[in-house]
Amino acid sequence: MDQTMRNDLLKLFRSKLNQAMTLYLETCSRCGVCTRACHVYESMPQVKYIAAYRAEIVRRIYKKYFKGQGKIWSTLGESKELTEMALEELYEAAYSCTGCRRCMVFCPFGIDTQMIMSIAKLLLVGAHAEPEMLTLLADMSVTKGESLDIFKEGFLQGIKNLESEVVKKWKIEAGETAIPIDVEGADLLYVALAGAHSIIPAAAIFNAAGEHWTLSFFEAVNFGAFVGDPSKTKLILNRIINEANRLKVKEVCICECGTAFRVMKQLSGKQNFKVSSITQVHARYLKEGRIKVKKSETGETITYHDPCQMARNGGIMDEPRYVLSHLTDNFRDMTDDPRYNWCCGGGGGLVALGEDTLDFRMKSSKVKVDQVKKTGASILTTACENCHTQLSNLNDHYKMGVDVQFLSAMVANALV
Amino acid sequence: MQTVYYIILVPMVYVAFAVFFFGTTIKLVQMFRKPKNPSTLMIFPEKGAPWLRALYDTFLLPTVRRHNPTLWVFLMLFHISFLLLIIGHLELIEDFSAFQIIEHEIFLGKGFVGLILSVSLLYFFFRRLVTPNKELSVPEDYFLLMLLFLTVLFGSEMDWARSWYDYGEMSVDEYREYLSSLLYLRPALPESIVLSGHSFMLVLHVFFANLFLMFFPFSKIMHSFFSLPMNKLRRG
Repeated sequence: MDQTMRNDLLKLFRSKLNQAMTLYLETCSRCGVCTRACHVYESMPQVKYIAAYRAEIVRRIYKKYFKGQGKIWSTLGESKELTEMALEELYEAAYSCTGCRRCMVFCPFGIDTQMIMSIAKLLLVGAHAEPEMLTLLADMSVTKGESLDIFKEGFLQGIKNLESEVVKKWKIEAGETAIPIDVEGADLLYVALAGAHSIIPAAAIFNAAGEHWTLSFFEAVNFGAFVGDPSKTKLILNRIINEANRLKVKEVCICECGTAFRVMKQLSGKQNFKVSSITQVHARYLKEGRIKVKKSETGETITYHDPCQMARNGGIMDEPRYVLSHLTDNFRDMTDDPRYNWCCGGGGGLVALGEDTLDFRMKSSKVKVDQVKKTGASILTTACENCHTQLSNLNDHYKMGVDVQFLSAMVANALV
Repeated sequence: MQTVYYIILVPMVYVAFAVFFFGTTIKLVQMFRKPKNPSTLMIFPEKGAPWLRALYDTFLLPTVRRHNPTLWVFLMLFHISFLLLIIGHLELIEDFSAFQIIEHEIFLGKGFVGLILSVSLLYFFFRRLVTPNKELSVPEDYFLLMLLFLTVLFGSEMDWARSWYDYGEMSVDEYREYLSSLLYLRPALPESIVLSGHSFMLVLHVFFANLFLMFFPFSKIMHSFFSLPMNKLRRG
């Protein structure tokens, strides 16, 4: 790696060094309490998968270039030069971490490994060594935000095709639009994913609740966040913020996508609308009696997987359980404390990388499979696209024999 | 030899304290002038009173208690003893009536404070020789533990000699004479401090303590200051 490149990368590194990040980099005592926090380590016990070890890979470079100790006496902290090989190590650390932040619950200081990994991801982007697929997807999202008119026609046609399904399955009143789009002054803007499964059940529930809603032109997922590119994350996020402001909505509701929800909720800043997850909205409808659902009579046991970005990192823990209490009498929780729920193993962009990461995803999530099996449940539900894909893959790979379902779909199917 | 003793017991102590105070202050100022993170870093659920909870996390280490109870016992013993040690050393400068609310001899702890610290430090050291802590550790970790262990060992030996073996040559009054002379910038070395049979212990104790203080601001020991704000980030 030449000096210009290294300087550019170090400049990127420096841009990440705010107060929290510096605290995280300065403080680790390598006590090892986080050892068994990581699902990857717990499924494949290798030191490189321990949170403190992952973080140390970034920390070693920090010591070398940003800390007096590393400059004066570099062997003391095993500080390390930024080289091609270091980039390879950063890649392995960052893309074997799903950013679930379970280790943060274990650490006596509360060090955020996901945040430290965001340095690794940014350096990889700077060195053009990141997974190309993620950048490609992020760029597509950005382009769509910039030239909406080109995509508009196709999108509207696609939605028209979906509408008939909503009408067919959930009879709606004459004259009502099943999937309203671009409605100025709507109360709620629903941001879905590109896929019928994310739109149809949601539409049915909004309509049943008599919600004055409108569907966003954009998909919720933020590939910028997955690849760890702060400027793309912001651009992708801003498309939705701008749309919400243009339509003057009071609430932006994010579909079942953990990352999209957390980015929107925590990074959108102070706005004139509130941000909710679709699970929160469903719980609210049930509480207010705006929708009614029928409890399952099949007697099947249901368990719920907490998506990390929703639960531990987003605070949506009680709502899904409340919703499930209306759907079944046979709910069995995986954990008595959702903060400790295991990650599905598909976060941080791993699921988006598809087949390339499949083998790793399967091996690294053995512990999740065991957790699900222990509940004895026959239906495994969750409220995140990524988790759903990963859990379905696990179901096939380990022949778990469960039925993996979206929570929103279960609500929609139980509507009366 | 007396020159070496003098250098360690007087100028080096001043240098060490200067490095410690200025180094730590600069580090803290630099840290708290950095921009804050734009979004929350908390772990949910939100439970209210984040400052109180952060204090609880910082001083009682509940996560360690849950996931590694043995380590927790040693950590608590170590940190409590360390606090007592600081009080003990302050009392070696002069009397503080506030500390005597619970009446005790000087040096407090009857030799057990140093013993607990030594044993804890040995535990911290040897647990790092076992996988996976071995792979996680870097030389700094061992270096700091050795430095602390040597400091505590030689310091405790003086205490043990007085508390357990009635060694009377270096008394509390003589330590006070030496330490307060340093504090009031009129350094004086009483003969019994530098010429008795146990003087070498004091010199080694002070030497390693000086090294530790000088290294403090540039090491992970800064967690003494950073732990609370970090736990606050986690509590929201």
